[in-house]
Amino acid sequence: MKIIIVGAGEVGFHIASRLSLENKDVVVVDKDADALRRVFENLDVQKVQGCGSSPAILEQAGIQEADILLAVTDSDEINLVASLFANMLSPATFKLARIRSEEYLKYQDALSKEPYGIDVMINPEDEAVKMVERLLQVPGAVDVGEFANGRIKLIGVRLEADCPVAGTKLVDLEKKTDNKNILVVAIIRNEKLIIPSGEDQLLAGDLIYFVSEEKEVKEALKIFGKRAEPFKKVLLVGGGNLGLKLAKALEGYSIHAKLIEKDHNRCNKLAEVLDKVVVLQGDGSDQGLLQEENVQDMDVVATLTGDEETNILTSLLAKRMGAHKTVTRINKLSYFPLVSAIGLDHIVSSRLAAVNSILQYVRRGKVLSAMALKGEEAEALEAVALETSDVVGKPLEQIPFPKGALVMAIIRGDEVIIPTGDSVILPQDRIIIFSTLQSIPQVEKALMVKLEYF
Amino acid sequence: MRLRYTLHLVGILTFFLGLTMAFPLLFGLYYEDGSVMPLLKSIAVTLGSGLILYFVFRSARGETMSHREGMGVVAIGWAAAGFFGALPYYWGGVFSTFADAFFESISGFTTTGASVLSNIEMVPRGLLLWRSLTHWIGGMGIIVLSLAILPLLGVGGMQLYKAEVPGPVPDKLKPRIRDTALVLWKVYVLLSVAEAVLLMFGGMDLFEALCHTFGTMATGGFSTRNASIGSYHSPYIDTVVILFMLFAGINFSLHYQCLKGDLRAFWRNPEFRFFMGAVVLFVLVVSFNVYRTVYHTCSDAIRFGAFQVVSIITTTGYTTADFEKWPSLSQNILLFCMFLGACAGSTGGGMKCMRIMLLLKHSYKQLFSLIHPHAVTQVKLAGRPISNEVLHSIWGYFMLYLGLFILCSFLLAAMGVDVVTSFAAAAATVGNIGPGLGLVGPTDNYAHIPILGKWLLMLCMLLGRLEIYTVLLLFVPEFWRK
Repeated sequence: MKIIIVGAGEVGFHIASRLSLENKDVVVVDKDADALRRVFENLDVQKVQGCGSSPAILEQAGIQEADILLAVTDSDEINLVASLFANMLSPATFKLARIRSEEYLKYQDALSKEPYGIDVMINPEDEAVKMVERLLQVPGAVDVGEFANGRIKLIGVRLEADCPVAGTKLVDLEKKTDNKNILVVAIIRNEKLIIPSGEDQLLAGDLIYFVSEEKEVKEALKIFGKRAEPFKKVLLVGGGNLGLKLAKALEGYSIHAKLIEKDHNRCNKLAEVLDKVVVLQGDGSDQGLLQEENVQDMDVVATLTGDEETNILTSLLAKRMGAHKTVTRINKLSYFPLVSAIGLDHIVSSRLAAVNSILQYVRRGKVLSAMALKGEEAEALEAVALETSDVVGKPLEQIPFPKGALVMAIIRGDEVIIPTGDSVILPQDRIIIFSTLQSIPQVEKALMVKLEYF
Repeated sequence: MRLRYTLHLVGILTFFLGLTMAFPLLFGLYYEDGSVMPLLKSIAVTLGSGLILYFVFRSARGETMSHREGMGVVAIGWAAAGFFGALPYYWGGVFSTFADAFFESISGFTTTGASVLSNIEMVPRGLLLWRSLTHWIGGMGIIVLSLAILPLLGVGGMQLYKAEVPGPVPDKLKPRIRDTALVLWKVYVLLSVAEAVLLMFGGMDLFEALCHTFGTMATGGFSTRNASIGSYHSPYIDTVVILFMLFAGINFSLHYQCLKGDLRAFWRNPEFRFFMGAVVLFVLVVSFNVYRTVYHTCSDAIRFGAFQVVSIITTTGYTTADFEKWPSLSQNILLFCMFLGACAGSTGGGMKCMRIMLLLKHSYKQLFSLIHPHAVTQVKLAGRPISNEVLHSIWGYFMLYLGLFILCSFLLAAMGVDVVTSFAAAAATVGNIGPGLGLVGPTDNYAHIPILGKWLLMLCMLLGRLEIYTVLLLFVPEFWRK
């Protein structure tokens, strides 16, 4: 599969790195020779230097043979023009544009039709807001992914020392909890990813990922010793685009939210738009202000300013002053390995969110949604089981599934099945597969292989 | 640098090299010429050493490869190839000292074609085939071959590729490095098959056709006869070899584009035009120069003149005539051709036309800005501006190349080798040509060079083939610092 990525910035680089590891043919286009060289020297991709909005450059990159075009530069206009020209030169290519401006997004429907043909427009900030929203809905979780329109959740929790199931083997987990609809799919221990078998133990300090039906999430969280009351009080720091969007989204829940913003004029504008959220003018890293606003009683403090270093320090400060959880906006992906080491709970990055949602669209076959786990070592994929696929019609035990991959849920109509070895996948079932990065190509093959020979 | 990880990868390369030794073994078995035992022993030792390196350092697998490690793997890998490649000669009793066997092997892999064998025709055929096969493997590159065949090296393949492929800015033909390597090898194999078939039409048997094809396509120069291609006295064979030496000296990505149907790709490429221009010019001058002074017919002058010019400029080193008896202008041109070399991205050595071209353009730009001090100019190639960084690295390469040549010729002279010989031997090894002038001329060989000089020349060949930087890095202490 050939994929052209326009833009070698942070988003382009990370998408390219993921795709090239999965053995896809990637061509990266960028104006900037230095950014391009970074991609070319670190990854197994081809480079084309030039502006991605130029049809000549697109042709040089081989748009006619490309299956997918991803326009992910920092400029909306370049992304739009690149997608439009791509549609002109090669209508069959799937086109995705990263668009931030609301003005353009309003015309998303019109742009997706002929003669424009931009199949998908991704707004990174929207994706980031969705990510934070999900986290707020599942208190106690480090990471939350949704499948089947939210009916199945993949939840990551860190096991504390007082966790009731610490030391339990996975085979015994079922008996101990009397709850069949929990399946632990991954354990991250000492920064290493383990795809567990029944004999593996849960230990305090592990970060585990489990699947559960939406209605049983609260029960499940209790089993792992996590509080299950929803968040009530949230403090947002930074009233930029992301802060405003999140504040607006929070107004829809019964959450008491405050928003701190430095700039006076911006505050006025925020107050105009927001009804329930309290807008405060001041510096989010000001200890006095935080105290005044009872930071110690906050369930969540989210630092969302454009300056990631300030965000990190403000989050640490709030945590020290007694806030229960922090959400920190970090854009530089290279800071991510530090996150848990310095004591930050959650991070949100519009870029990472964009990378994740773009990857969903790149997946081969009828993959509906995908989610990358921490450290990007593994992914959960949701797909429709095609009649022609190898995985259909046999008990799971007998399917030669690649190592490092497992089926974590089957959705048949309204029924949700957390599978065992005897479960059988029927055509048109929706299945959720958990896989390490190395096994993804084989998984994609297993889902699709026969269709290709039609 | 993670030395363990580097050695782990070198283990893979070594194992792979052991497998390639099975090919000459087939010929050894067929001819029953005493090369079977030495080859079998070498295969066992090479495979074994590869496995040991691979497994002992297995724990050190990394996810990414740095620039340094890429260079380290290539430099150490090539040295290892030279070592293991020498085993069949040594155990076959061809040479009395291991240094000689090592010299022959390094000369093979680096596609130099400088030999220390006095009587080639006495050597068992299985070993001769191995000798030519080392050319063929080294021509397109041990790394490129491994990349194409082994998926193991996928991670960091680009770092390895860059360190091995000649030319200032190696380009990728396909998005993935493995596909690129595969394409290059397909072109290489295709051209080789074509040449072998054509040579067999000229009367060679399969063994000789293969050996000479390996020597030509890799721009190596090892022959199975003492008098090289000259011993066939066949204008047909001369023509075929000239043609394929030219093919081998042209950037292989052009061949690929041509095979895909874009015939004009050749002419659009400025380096190709420069290279062909130089070839035509030198052939005309040399042929004119040797006409009546050495050869009495016009066709002979062109036939021998063209063969020698093409053979030297592509850094192959086959001979059909003793050019030391030619007028000094011709000899001088041939000496210059040793420095010029073939195109970037080909199997040829030398400084490469691309570099010389860019240096000329850059020099002209300097001159131009003296006349128009306010002029803003850029060095361009095929309409694309070349960055100053690339130009600086080319100047650096130029200086290192000349420095290496000068140092080597001084050291040889210090060992008592005469002026012309030391000069030509240095140029012919650094440029991976083979025959030089004086006592290492077309009718002589390198056997009489003092032992220390042989080691020096081995280093020169390796430096020349891997474009100096890659090997030189190993001698910089900073490289080894953690």
